[in-house]
Amino acid sequence: MLLVGLCFWALMFGLSFRVLKYFQSVEVIGDLLAHHLLGMILMVFFSLLMFSHIITALSNLYLSSDLELCHASPAYVEEVFLSRAVYTLVDSSWMVIVFGLPVMMAYAFVFKPGFGFYFSLVHMGFGVVLIAGGVGILITMILVRIFPAQRTRDIIMLLGICGLGALYLMFRLLRPERLVDPEAFFSIAQYMAALQGPDSPYLPTHWMTETLWATLSRSPGKDVLLYSAFLWSTAGAITVINVWVAQAIYFSGFSKSQEAKTRRAGKRVLDFFVALIKRPFKPQLGAIIDKDLRAFFRDNTQWSQLLLLGALVVVYVYNFSVLPLDKSPIRIEFLQNEIAFLNVGLAGFVLSAVSVRFIFPAVSSEGAAFWIVQSSPVPLKRFLWTKFAFYLPPMLILGEVLILLTNHLLEVTPFMMVLSSLTMFLAVFGIVALGVGMGAMYPNFNHQNIAQVATGFGGLMFMILSAAFVALVVILEAGPVYVLVMADLRGLPVAMWQWFLIVLSFAAVLFIMAAAVYKPMKMGLKALSQYE
Amino acid sequence: MIKLIHLTKTYKELRAVDDLNLEVREGTLFGFLGPNGAGKTTTIKMMAGVLKPTSGRILINGMDLAEEPEKVKKCIGFIPDRPYLYEKLTGMEFLHFIAGLYGMDHASSLQSRIHDLLDLFDLTHWGDELIESYSHGMKQRLVMCSALLPQPKVLIVDEPMVGLDPRGSRLVKDIFLEESRKKTTIFMSTHSLEVAAELCQEIAIIQAGKIIALGSAEELKKAAGVDGSLESVFLKLTEGKRIAHATPLSAS
Repeated sequence: MLLVGLCFWALMFGLSFRVLKYFQSVEVIGDLLAHHLLGMILMVFFSLLMFSHIITALSNLYLSSDLELCHASPAYVEEVFLSRAVYTLVDSSWMVIVFGLPVMMAYAFVFKPGFGFYFSLVHMGFGVVLIAGGVGILITMILVRIFPAQRTRDIIMLLGICGLGALYLMFRLLRPERLVDPEAFFSIAQYMAALQGPDSPYLPTHWMTETLWATLSRSPGKDVLLYSAFLWSTAGAITVINVWVAQAIYFSGFSKSQEAKTRRAGKRVLDFFVALIKRPFKPQLGAIIDKDLRAFFRDNTQWSQLLLLGALVVVYVYNFSVLPLDKSPIRIEFLQNEIAFLNVGLAGFVLSAVSVRFIFPAVSSEGAAFWIVQSSPVPLKRFLWTKFAFYLPPMLILGEVLILLTNHLLEVTPFMMVLSSLTMFLAVFGIVALGVGMGAMYPNFNHQNIAQVATGFGGLMFMILSAAFVALVVILEAGPVYVLVMADLRGLPVAMWQWFLIVLSFAAVLFIMAAAVYKPMKMGLKALSQYE
Repeated sequence: MIKLIHLTKTYKELRAVDDLNLEVREGTLFGFLGPNGAGKTTTIKMMAGVLKPTSGRILINGMDLAEEPEKVKKCIGFIPDRPYLYEKLTGMEFLHFIAGLYGMDHASSLQSRIHDLLDLFDLTHWGDELIESYSHGMKQRLVMCSALLPQPKVLIVDEPMVGLDPRGSRLVKDIFLEESRKKTTIFMSTHSLEVAAELCQEIAIIQAGKIIALGSAEELKKAAGVDGSLESVFLKLTEGKRIAHATPLSAS
């Protein structure tokens, strides 16, 4: 795990270092680009932090099962609130800090600032985290207060849609594709204006950006101390406001969330939907699918993530629609097809990321009720394959949508269209089987929150193996694809020995895909049979 | 109907169930008593197919659980001590789910049986509510509904009275007596000696994974040389042998 983390850090650092070095070599606007990039990065981190705090606070302040014990203890409500708020702060920020640190270190390596940079980074970073966290927690408290008890589903839906909108909006506002093409602007002034993006002197990220940039460019601005004062006074004020608001509304919100839940409208729609899906299956399989579908759509933490998945797909496809292929020095047909091929790998990684959240925890989602399956006359083998059958169709649809849409945008050749969609179709079987099988090998039936299952050791192992599986398939197909595309573009025949290698490569791909389905399911079944 | 042959379960260095041999006849309401950590729940979980024995055999209705697990489980109804259920289903949906697992068809007879059971356990008004809104006792009653739904030949029950109010407790006792009259074999572990004395035709006392006494309540009194309640028999038989957890292997 440490090794994977270090590799990731090194990759982030290397990438950031190269980009900043390149910016430094660009005359006139190089420093401006680096300055603006710093602002963008801090803005993105700030938004992520705020959204992450809203979601985590809902769970940590209102839905955690240990909260009953906390509120029953003779502690003041502010104490309970503060302890959970601090926990939320740590829980939501560590990931962003981990992601952000290598980028900041790259800035330090490129610009070689003095001690002031590190000091500002630590104290202002902490202040920004406090503000983002404070605002996120405050929004959660107000939302829970506004909505009736047990309407967290509505809250999360609202948050999901807001998140989706914010993500899309932010992406559009930043207009990153325009920044690599200064020629598209009529003048330097216009280019500079385009670089501005969403910023405001009232934003904490602006204060931090300006302070850090002053230390990086070794031109201490007169406003640095003022920005620090702004930041810390805002952080202090947010903290105090949070405690005041918590005193007034936190406990009543928590109390509301404990009230008994009753079924609400929408049952008929769900009944119809479930009946439609389970119709082709035998009673035992149908019963498990029926139960899984109902549990999924009634669990807010599960289905609300579909909204984020939607955002992911939109941004993914959007990226392909703005690729400046016509500006590339490489022949466009070749580039289109190569990108389409590499897209199989990228889409495979996206599917792995989706699987680790939805499919890997599928077995663990039975929770403490797993005894029902164990003591029933349904063999564990059938139980596992039902899980596989349940998740396969939506994953096939997602995989094919990613591939077909992006291929359409790239205007690839029919050969590449067929090859990439077929490869994806078969690879999905492997990814789903890996998810279900490894989920059975590393089950966690005692989880408090199903989202935690994906972040454990088993989830990490799944991600590594799934990514390796996708990479292996892409590597094995790379040679044949290159030969066939080049032969097609140049109008040359493919030699006999090349055909032999092509057949051998595709046979190896098929073998690996079959193994990726069979082996994890077998190992998962064995592990689950021995589970005590 | 139930036969346990040299049944043993060890957890690392602990022998939780130690070479257990037992036979329960058809239609018997069998009480399985013992102090905490004696191996009652481990034995019951093995009989329900939730735990794998380290060695030994479990025969139910003449079939070996290890060899024909699906067939054996079809004739068992299991009621665990803690009613962990699928919280996001309603009571009615949960019973339909169980019917599906047991391969029962969704004919009108099933629907009427579900309604009868919900009625019997006083859950009719809660049938369309999510299980997460049920109290512990209601969940326990729903588990009992689900265990009786496939009309099992054997009921395996772990601490059935925990979490039930006096009315619920009386209801369950009556249902067990009625099921026993209908030739259903009931294997029940309990801490309540009153329940065992009132319901069970045969009782086994287990301690440190071994059966230390077996017979009817009267026979146990005679064997212990006690002329009082079942509680005195239990205390006498387990006197001085109280071990918090099962016997370590090294000590055996």
